[in-house]
Amino acid sequence: MSGEAPRIEVEGLGVRYAEVAAVEGVGFAVARGELVTLLGPSGCGKTTTLRAIAGLEQPSAGNIRLAGRTVYSAAERRNVPAERRGVSMVFQSYAIWPHMTVFENVAYGLRVRRLAKAEIERSVGRALDLVQMQALAGRPASRLSGGQQQRVAVARAIAFEPEVLLFDEPLSNLDARLRAAMRLELRELQRRLGITALYVTHDQEEALAISDRVIVMNAGRIEQEGTPEEIYARPCSRFVADFVGAANLIPGRVRDIGHFEAAGGLLLPLPSSRPPRGDETTLALRTAYITLLADATQAPDTARGVIHRRMFHGDFIQYVVDWPAGQLIVRRPPTELFAEGAAVTIAFAPEHCVLL
Amino acid sequence: MRGLATGLALAAMLLGGPASACDNPRQMPGFKTCADVAKAEREGGLVVYTTDPEDGTAQLLAAFHQAFPGVSTNYIRLQAGALYAKLMSERQAHSYLVDAIELSDMGFVLDFQKRGGYAQYVSPEMTAYNAQYKSQPEGFWTWGAVIMAAIAYNPKIVPPDQAPKTWQDVLDPKWTDGVSVKVSNSGLEHETWFELRRLYGEEYWTKFAELKPRAFDSYVQQYDRAVNGQDKIIHTAQYSGYLQFKAKGAPIAFVYPDAGLPAGPEVWGLVADGPHPEAARLYMDWFLSVGGQKAYGDALFLNSVRADVPPPPGGVQASQLKLLFPADWQTFLASRTQFARFWDKMTGLR
Amino acid sequence: MTAPALLLCGCLVLYPVFFLLQESLNAGDPMQFPPLQYGLDNFRAIPDDARVIGNTALVALLATGMAIAFGFVLAWILTRTVIPGRRLLERLMELPYYMTPLVGALAWGVLAGPKTGFINQLWHALGGGGDLVNVYSPLGIAWVMALFEGTVAFVMIAAAMKSMDPSLEESSRVLGAGKLRTTLMVTLPLVAPGVLSAAVFVFAEMLGAFAAAFVLGIPGRFFVITTAIWEATLSYPPDYGRAAALGLSLFAVMLLTLSLARLIMRRGSFATISGKAFRPRAVSVGRLRWALLAICWAYVALAVILPLAALLLTSLQSFATVFLAQSRFTFDNYRAALQMGALGLAFTNSLILGLAVASIGALVTFVLVWIIYRSRAPGRGLLEYVVMFPQAVPRMVFGLGLLWAWVNIPLPIYGTLWLLGLAYLTVFLPLGLRTLAGVVLQVDRGLEECARVCGASWARQMRTVTLPLLRPGLVAAWVLVFIASVRELGVSIFLMGPNSKVIAPAIVNAWLSSSAGLSSAMALLQTGTVFAGLVLLLVLFRSLGRETA
Repeated sequence: MSGEAPRIEVEGLGVRYAEVAAVEGVGFAVARGELVTLLGPSGCGKTTTLRAIAGLEQPSAGNIRLAGRTVYSAAERRNVPAERRGVSMVFQSYAIWPHMTVFENVAYGLRVRRLAKAEIERSVGRALDLVQMQALAGRPASRLSGGQQQRVAVARAIAFEPEVLLFDEPLSNLDARLRAAMRLELRELQRRLGITALYVTHDQEEALAISDRVIVMNAGRIEQEGTPEEIYARPCSRFVADFVGAANLIPGRVRDIGHFEAAGGLLLPLPSSRPPRGDETTLALRTAYITLLADATQAPDTARGVIHRRMFHGDFIQYVVDWPAGQLIVRRPPTELFAEGAAVTIAFAPEHCVLL
Repeated sequence: MRGLATGLALAAMLLGGPASACDNPRQMPGFKTCADVAKAEREGGLVVYTTDPEDGTAQLLAAFHQAFPGVSTNYIRLQAGALYAKLMSERQAHSYLVDAIELSDMGFVLDFQKRGGYAQYVSPEMTAYNAQYKSQPEGFWTWGAVIMAAIAYNPKIVPPDQAPKTWQDVLDPKWTDGVSVKVSNSGLEHETWFELRRLYGEEYWTKFAELKPRAFDSYVQQYDRAVNGQDKIIHTAQYSGYLQFKAKGAPIAFVYPDAGLPAGPEVWGLVADGPHPEAARLYMDWFLSVGGQKAYGDALFLNSVRADVPPPPGGVQASQLKLLFPADWQTFLASRTQFARFWDKMTGLR
Repeated sequence: MTAPALLLCGCLVLYPVFFLLQESLNAGDPMQFPPLQYGLDNFRAIPDDARVIGNTALVALLATGMAIAFGFVLAWILTRTVIPGRRLLERLMELPYYMTPLVGALAWGVLAGPKTGFINQLWHALGGGGDLVNVYSPLGIAWVMALFEGTVAFVMIAAAMKSMDPSLEESSRVLGAGKLRTTLMVTLPLVAPGVLSAAVFVFAEMLGAFAAAFVLGIPGRFFVITTAIWEATLSYPPDYGRAAALGLSLFAVMLLTLSLARLIMRRGSFATISGKAFRPRAVSVGRLRWALLAICWAYVALAVILPLAALLLTSLQSFATVFLAQSRFTFDNYRAALQMGALGLAFTNSLILGLAVASIGALVTFVLVWIIYRSRAPGRGLLEYVVMFPQAVPRMVFGLGLLWAWVNIPLPIYGTLWLLGLAYLTVFLPLGLRTLAGVVLQVDRGLEECARVCGASWARQMRTVTLPLLRPGLVAAWVLVFIASVRELGVSIFLMGPNSKVIAPAIVNAWLSSSAGLSSAMALLQTGTVFAGLVLLLVLFRSLGRETA
C-alpha cells in the first residue's frame, strides 16, 4: 500500500440530470486491496458515482482515474466507454441473463476476452467454487432463487480476476438473515482475492461491518470520510450522527471550554482533547455510550432521570429516559432491566460527547 | 267532394279498375299526384335503393326534398346483384326498410314482380309513358330512364385516327390489357353481350376475351381510368358517363357505332309493404313527371323515355340514337346464367 | 354471478358463429334461412379457392414481415436511442392507426398507381421508363397493410423492449462486451419472444384484413379470402355457402395462430414479472442519430403525410389526369361530398355509436374484469375465453354471421343502429377487456382489502377505491373502443341499413361509384372531422385520467 497509485481516484466529479446536480464536487481515492463503501440515503448520489466510475453515466465535470489511467476527464473531453475500463460490477438486480445457463453467465466476461476453452472452464469452475454454486453450473439462469442469482452475479464478476470490483447495493434484495450471512462472505472473498472494491449501500450497519473506510454522502456531496470507528465515534455533522448509528442530538450552546449547556440548565461535559469552536449548537451522544445505574451516585458527569418507556429489541433494550434536558434514548444490553417509571442515574464519558 | 270521390273510387273498384289509381289527382307544380301530400309529410321519410352513382342519387333526392321539404330522403347504393340480394334477404326476414327501388337488370325486375315485391301504384304520370316502357299490368314498374352503351376513349392518349369506329375495331389486339368493361351484374353489360352476340356471333366475344378486359362495378370507375390513362378504351361505355365527364371538362370522346348502341332500362318501382307508402307515391309521381325526369337527367345525365323531357345536359334525345333492345326479354333473361359464367371467367372473377 | 354474464356473452358471441356454421353447411338454395339441405359441399369446394387462399397467405406473410421490420426498427430507435424530438415522434407513431388502412389504401392508390400515380409521374418526369412502382399488386397491398399495422407492431415490440431490465445490458458492457456484441448476445435474445409474439399476432390480423385488399386488389383481379367473401355476397343469388365456408376456414386458422401467439408469450417470455417498470437507458449514438431521426420521419411521411397530401391533391381535381398541369382544380368534389350527406348522417351515426358503445362497453368491461380477475366465482376462466373469442373471428366473417343471426330473429333491430351497436359491443369487448385487465392486474389487491377492513361495504369500496384506481384504465379502454368504433368497417359493411350508415362503409360504397376526386374528398372530410373529434376527446380525457397517477 506504499507509494503505489490508488486503484480508483476520483476528483471533483459532477453528474447532472437535466437541471439537477445528482453528484457535485465528489473526490476520493481507493487504495489497492481496500474495500471502501459509499454510504447514504436513497438519492444521495452514491449509485450515480459508482456508475460514473463504471462508465455507465456521463459526468459533467471532474476526473476519474483507474490505476493511474485516466478514464474520464472533463477537461480533456475524454470518456472511455464502459467495456474498455476493465472494472467489474455486481448489480442491485443481479442482471443475470435468463436465456443463458449459470455457466454461460459466468463465462461471459472470459469469452469476451477470448480466453481458451480450457482456461474458461477452469476460471468458471473456480469462480463458482468460491461462491459454492458449482453444483448448479448447468442450470438455466431463469430458474434460480434470489440468493442463488446473487451468488452467480458475484461469480460472474470475479471470474476474469478483475482488479477493481464495484458493488451496487448487491444485498438489498435479500432478506435480513441472508443479508447478514452474505456480507461476511463477500468480505471474505474480497480479502482473499485481494480485490480493490467500491461498495454502495444505504444500510449503515452493513457499511460499518465490512468496510476499510466509509464515505458518507448526502444530496450529491460527501459528508464525511473515515474508518468505520471514526465515522461512528466522531460524526462531523448532524446528518452523519443521525444516519450512522443511533444518536441523541441535544440542542443547546457552548457555555465554556469544558461545558455545554442544554435545555433545563443541564451542563454536559466536553472532552479536553477537542476544544469547542464556540458556535456549535448541538451535542451528539450515541445511545450505546450511555450507562444507566440504579443507585443515585453523586459522581461527576452524571444526571438523574426517570424511565419513560422501555422497548425490548432482543439483542438490546431501548429506553426512553426523561431527564432535565428533555428525553434521552439509551440502548443497554438485555441483561440491564429497568422498570418504566423507575429513577435512574445517567452516566457517560465526556469523550463520547461530540459537538456539531 | 269527398263523398263523390269515395263513390267514384268504389265504382272503380267494382268495375275492376287498376288497384291504386285515383280519380282525383291533385295538381302539384308541374305534375299530378294521387298521394296524400299531408300524410306523406307526416310520414316524414323516403328510402330509396338504387344502383346509380351516389352523388347523382344524392342530387336527385335533394331536388325532391327541395320540392317537398317535409319529406327527408335516404338511399342505399349498391351494385345490382348486391342490392337485389340485400332486398331479398331483408324481405325474407320481414324487414321492410325501403320504399322505392331502381334496378337496371330486367331479370331482377321480372323476378321481383313475380314474387309480389312491387307495390302496384298507377301514377297519373304514367299516361305519358308508352306501353313498352311500363309493366303489364300497369303500375308495378316503369322505365325511369334508358341507358345505352358504346365505346369511349381519351383523345389525348389515343389519337382519334387510331381510335375504334365500330364494334369490330375494338377486337384489334393492340387494345390488349387496355380495355375496361362492367361486371356481370350489370344489366347494361348483359344487354351489350346479348346484342353484339346477335350481330356478330359468339366469335366476337371469344376474340374479345383475348384482350383481357378489366371489369368494374361502376361506369364512373371506367371513365376515371380512361381519363387518367390507366385504360385505353372503354367498352360498354355508358352514354350518361360520357356526358357526365364531358361536363367536367375531361378529355373524353364517344364513338357512335353505325351498328347501333345496345340499350336497356333503368327500372323504377315502389316496394310493397314499404315503411312510407304515401311519401313513396308522391315521389313516384314527381319522379315520373317532366320535372322529375329533368332532375334525373341533370343529376345523372340520363335520357328519359318521355318524349316531352329535354335531353340531359350536353346530350341528345334517345330517339336520335340507334338503340338496340333485346327482341324478346324472356330469351334475354334465360341467357343470364350463360352470360354470367362466361363473363366472370373472362374477367377473372373466379 | 358468472352464470348470467356467461349466458349474455355467450349469446352475443356464439350465436352469430352458430349461424355461420349453419350457413356453411347449406348445400341447397343459398337464400333459404334456415337451409333446406345440409351438406359439406361448400367445404369440399374450398380447394377450388386454392388461389385465393394462396394469395391470402402470401399477402399476410409479406405484410407481417414488413410490419415487424417497421415496428422493430422504430421501437428500437424510440426506446433505446437518444434522438432529438423523441417525445413528439412517439406521439406521431399513433397517427397511422387513426388514418385507417382504408384511407391509406385509397391514398396509396393515388400515390403509386401504375402510369398515373404521383410517384410514377415523378419518375416519368425524371426520365424513367415504365413504372417505378405499382401498388395494385400483392406487394403493394402488403406494403399498405404493413404501413398501417406497423404501429401496432411498434407498440407491442416497444412494450417488450421497455420491460427489459437495462442492467442486463449494462452488465454485459461492464464485462467488456461492446455495443454490437451486447446487442447480439443479450438484447436480441431477450426481446425475441416479444417480437415473435407480435409477429404472430400481426399475422393473424393480416389474415383477416379487408380494406387494403379491397381497394388495391380487386381492380387487378387479385382476391384474398376476405375480398372473395365480399364478392361472393355481391352477386345474385349470393354464394353465401362459399362465403361462410371460407370464413370459417379463415377463422380456424386465425384461432390457431392467436393461440400460438399466447403460447409463445407465456412460455418463452423472459420479461421479469416483478411488476417494476423499467426506464430503459437510452444509448447515445453520436452522429448516427440524424440518420435514425430521418428513418422515423420517413415512416411518418410514408404513412401519414404523403397519403394525406395525395388525397388532398386528388380531391381538388376535377378529374385525374396524367399530367398534373392539365387538370382543372375545383371545390366541386367537396360540394358534392357535403351534399351527399357525407358529413351528415354517416358521421352522426358513427359518433353516436362510438359514444354509446364506448360508454356501455367500459361499464360492461368493468363488471367483467371484476368477475374474471378479482372474484373467485367459478367459471370465470370460461367467461374470459368466451368474451375474448371474437378476437379470433375475422371481422367480415363475424359481420356475415351477425347478419344472418339478427335478420332471422323477430326482433326488429335489423337495419338500425341498435344492431350495429350490439355488433360493435361484441367485437370490441376483447379490446376493452385486454386494456382494463392490464391495469387491474397491476393494482394491488391490498388497496381494496384495506377499504373493506375499514368498514366499507362492497359497493362503497367499489365506488371510493376500486373505480378511482381503475380510472386511467377505464379511460384508456373507453378511448380505444371509441376509436375502434368510428373506424370499423368489416362488421358494419354487412349490417348497414339506409338509416344506419356509418363512416368507413360509406367511404367504401362511395369509392365504388364515384370518381377518385370525390372519394378522396369524402375520405378527407370524414377522417379530418373524426380526427378533430378524437383530439378533443383525448385532451378532455387525458386531463381526467391524469388525476390518478
